[in-house]
Amino acid sequence: MSRRRGDGRRGLVAAGLVALGLIGAAIGVVAALGSSGSTDAPPAAHAATKHGRHHHRKLPPLPEAPAPAFKVGKPIYLKHVGDLSRYAPVLRVVDALAEPRASASSVAPLYTTTSDGTTNIVLVIGHPHTDAHGRVWVKVRFPSLPNGLTGWVPRNALGLMVLVRTHLVIDLEHLRLTLLRNGRPIFSAPVGVGQPQWPTPRGSFYVRDKLTEYASPFYGPIAFGTSARSEVLTDWPDGGFVGIHGTNEPQLIPGRISHGCVRLRNEDILRLARLLPVGTPITIK
Amino acid sequence: MSHELTLEGIDRSATIAEAQDRLLGSQTRGGLLRRMAALGAGGALAGGVMAALPQVARAATQNDIDILNFALTLEYPAAAFFTEAERNGALSGETAVAARVIGAHERAHVRALRHALGPKAVKRGHYDFGDATEDQQKFHDAGIWFENVAVGYLKGQAPLIDSDAILVVALGLHSVEARHAAWMRRIGGDVPAPSAFDAPITRESAISQFRARGYLAIEPKTTVKKRAPTVTG
Repeated sequence: MSRRRGDGRRGLVAAGLVALGLIGAAIGVVAALGSSGSTDAPPAAHAATKHGRHHHRKLPPLPEAPAPAFKVGKPIYLKHVGDLSRYAPVLRVVDALAEPRASASSVAPLYTTTSDGTTNIVLVIGHPHTDAHGRVWVKVRFPSLPNGLTGWVPRNALGLMVLVRTHLVIDLEHLRLTLLRNGRPIFSAPVGVGQPQWPTPRGSFYVRDKLTEYASPFYGPIAFGTSARSEVLTDWPDGGFVGIHGTNEPQLIPGRISHGCVRLRNEDILRLARLLPVGTPITIK
Repeated sequence: MSHELTLEGIDRSATIAEAQDRLLGSQTRGGLLRRMAALGAGGALAGGVMAALPQVARAATQNDIDILNFALTLEYPAAAFFTEAERNGALSGETAVAARVIGAHERAHVRALRHALGPKAVKRGHYDFGDATEDQQKFHDAGIWFENVAVGYLKGQAPLIDSDAILVVALGLHSVEARHAAWMRRIGGDVPAPSAFDAPITRESAISQFRARGYLAIEPKTTVKKRAPTVTG
């Protein structure tokens, strides 16, 4: 027998009634769960029959979800944004340029290693710039004469960015060194600085590297190389870089005693070395 | 100085290579023997080392510890990526908001996994994201990748987890990473949910993708021994 249009319509109506019945049953289950609480046995499902009677059919209880082995705490939002600095290694020899474009004039060449044999790092300052060709440039601080020069390099000339939360302040007037972390002082010590004829340069610099296990009591047990350069001892071997180091003459500290370096008593340089990461920006004032 | 971004070059950081060796080796006969040997050694050290382990690490099977460590191995660079992007301050609009929020979540994931694993947690590595943290479009691309690979590997690892309690954690991480992926897709101009089904990815696939991205880096050599200073003194 072929299906007639009327048969199809009755089928649709029947399907609709069944659907309404199922929806009603679902609403009943939800309402019962809401009123009964989670610890009670699940309510019976109500299935409407064509005579209006309801059969009560118990749903099987669902197992409790397992507790997690551990929890993830609250999201960790960054603080102290202003107290962070960044440095990066120089991956290839590149000219630092006056402006963030390939045609700009060169300020200075940057090399991949220092005279100490360490990786040459530069301090990344400000915000990056994307030029019209889509190339990203970053502004960097690097050792220079005169001190304080900055320039732009392509981002791909540098390696990984390393974040630093510390800042070293050297007060030439009060002969004091203070290390801050997240803007708060965590270490302070008296220092010896340059004699008048060999002044420690003022300005913004950074810690370039750290030297250890050398046999030179004059420099104490540990020395930090900085990006600061003597503006007087320009013919000093390897360029006249200013360091932060220990001493074999602790009785002279504090005082204006050095060739430009910042000297600490050996117990102080050892304490500082545990707290001072390479790449820390330095303010000498 | 070479900064070639090879897996072998960062073995000193003991991150991806260690996690890879552990996970791949644990499914071989040699890996099984090593695990049995480790259990024996662990028993001998029970008084000291085991007592220092968090409860999760003490109760978990080596298989589950390896899976959590694999998750941590990939959470580290994800957290570092969003952190660096936020610190660089080069992003704008909703992209900057996403970097802040997703970064907060990823850092929380790292902290939770490290706490759970205690001394058994793999170490953090060094990562170079190039200009992907400074260029908005490249950030979108990398961000989508990070979240997709997280979703894929968690999906792939879930059936292999021994403990239901750890599986619950993995599923919790998975759904959050999926939300991140959808958000990153939307702000990148893509359809948030591009398909009706997400396939899992294998551990090997996750690692090879990460290597292909070239994000692994070696720590700059900024400390030198036995070399006298040449500063002015």
